[in-house]
Amino acid sequence: MSDHNEKHQHEGQEHHHFILPERTAVAVGLALLVLTGVTVWVAGIDFGRLNFTIALLIAVVKASLVGLVFMGLKYDRKENGLIFVTSFLFLAIFIALTATDLLFRGDVYVKGPLVAASGKSQFKKPWISTTELVAKGKTLYEQQCVACHGAQGRGDGPAGAGLNPKPRNLTAAEGWKNGHKATGIFKTLTQGLNQMPVFSSLSTDDRWSLTQYVLSMGPAAEKDTAADFAALKIDPTKDDGGAGAGEESKSIPVEVAIDLLAVPEQKAQR
Amino acid sequence: MSSTHITTGGYQHAHHYKSAGDEFEASKQGMWLFMVTEVLMFGGLFVAYTMFRAMYPEMFHEASKHLAVNLGLTNTIILITSSLTMVLAVIASQKGQKGRILLHLGLTFLLSCGFLVVKYFEYSGKIHHGILPGGLFTNTEITHPKAPLFFSLYYVMTGIHAFHVIVGMGLMVWLAVRTMRNEFSPAFYTPVELVGFYWHFVDMVWIFLFPLMYLVG
Repeated sequence: MSDHNEKHQHEGQEHHHFILPERTAVAVGLALLVLTGVTVWVAGIDFGRLNFTIALLIAVVKASLVGLVFMGLKYDRKENGLIFVTSFLFLAIFIALTATDLLFRGDVYVKGPLVAASGKSQFKKPWISTTELVAKGKTLYEQQCVACHGAQGRGDGPAGAGLNPKPRNLTAAEGWKNGHKATGIFKTLTQGLNQMPVFSSLSTDDRWSLTQYVLSMGPAAEKDTAADFAALKIDPTKDDGGAGAGEESKSIPVEVAIDLLAVPEQKAQR
Repeated sequence: MSSTHITTGGYQHAHHYKSAGDEFEASKQGMWLFMVTEVLMFGGLFVAYTMFRAMYPEMFHEASKHLAVNLGLTNTIILITSSLTMVLAVIASQKGQKGRILLHLGLTFLLSCGFLVVKYFEYSGKIHHGILPGGLFTNTEITHPKAPLFFSLYYVMTGIHAFHVIVGMGLMVWLAVRTMRNEFSPAFYTPVELVGFYWHFVDMVWIFLFPLMYLVG
């Protein structure tokens, strides 16, 4: 029993912890107030994007002072500091992983040789053919469609050889499932058809341009009906270029994404 | 046994610890773990803030101008000063100076009241101008359509922070009552030190909130 008592006594004496000198506490308090002044002063100067970094940097210095001195991490067991700092590490991972997703969404659509998928339409009524649309569509056709549909649009491209059904002969008059008209081609580009992939990764303007080029390859196009426009949620009286028309969702098929992501060199050569 | 009690200032640690020192270290580590959960809770909001700021930098710029920097600055000064008085209360408890513990806890409490009063004027000013979070936003001076998003973040982040301040004030009252009952001594001041941690953490959060909310460049 006396052994036990002694042990207690001994450890009772060990229980003397570092006591922060009051002068140090006051000095750190003043330093924090001065740094607050610096934060406000610096915010008044325009460093562009650096302002955010500078503000954060000063905040980190202030928080470190609070953590090290006021919370005593400087004098504490190292593992407590490690525990606390690790939480900020996880916060950094949280921010970084969220940023890699959220801030780069849409890059699949935007990067590459194509016009940005976002933004306002350059065209007013792109379902009516113009030479500008056809010329733009030709460029896009050579980038996006030649592989399967062939240079002349006869459906004889090398990549289409193994497909069943065969790629559409764009010069043919018959057999157009969505109709040989602007809204029909646009719908096919936007939503896909059998082996024909969805091209909603292209901007609305790009798809209308392609539509007009494809129509220019074959016989005269049929007229779009009011029902055709309604099905694509386009108001043909408006000059908004049919923005966002007929799109089911903002996603693209996995194979298109893989193609876009996996072969940047090939894309650059196209 | 009784002599042991006297040498540890009359404090008997819980029986499952080897010593009062062990008990103190365990309590403290528990508090650090709690601090980690707090970092991650506020962290989620800071992630939301960072993402939306990256997505709508010009909106944050415009919306932030409608926050009162002088009130935010006043509260920053109040909170930093209260952190200092809290440290002084902890030091007093470590030295067993009962009167000084009460003095500094009282000062910290008064400063927290000051913080909440400033906050009250700030919030009521915003509400008066129709600057409310999300769908309740009716202000017409701020033109950016996404501006309510900034103020949603503002109210949620400063609101949760203010809630922490209120909780901290309750803890200070609790500490003051226990101090008056002579429950703390140089051998046992764990609650004072741990409430101190909590309070410094609340200060730390505000250190980030102030520039991020009020001083968007």
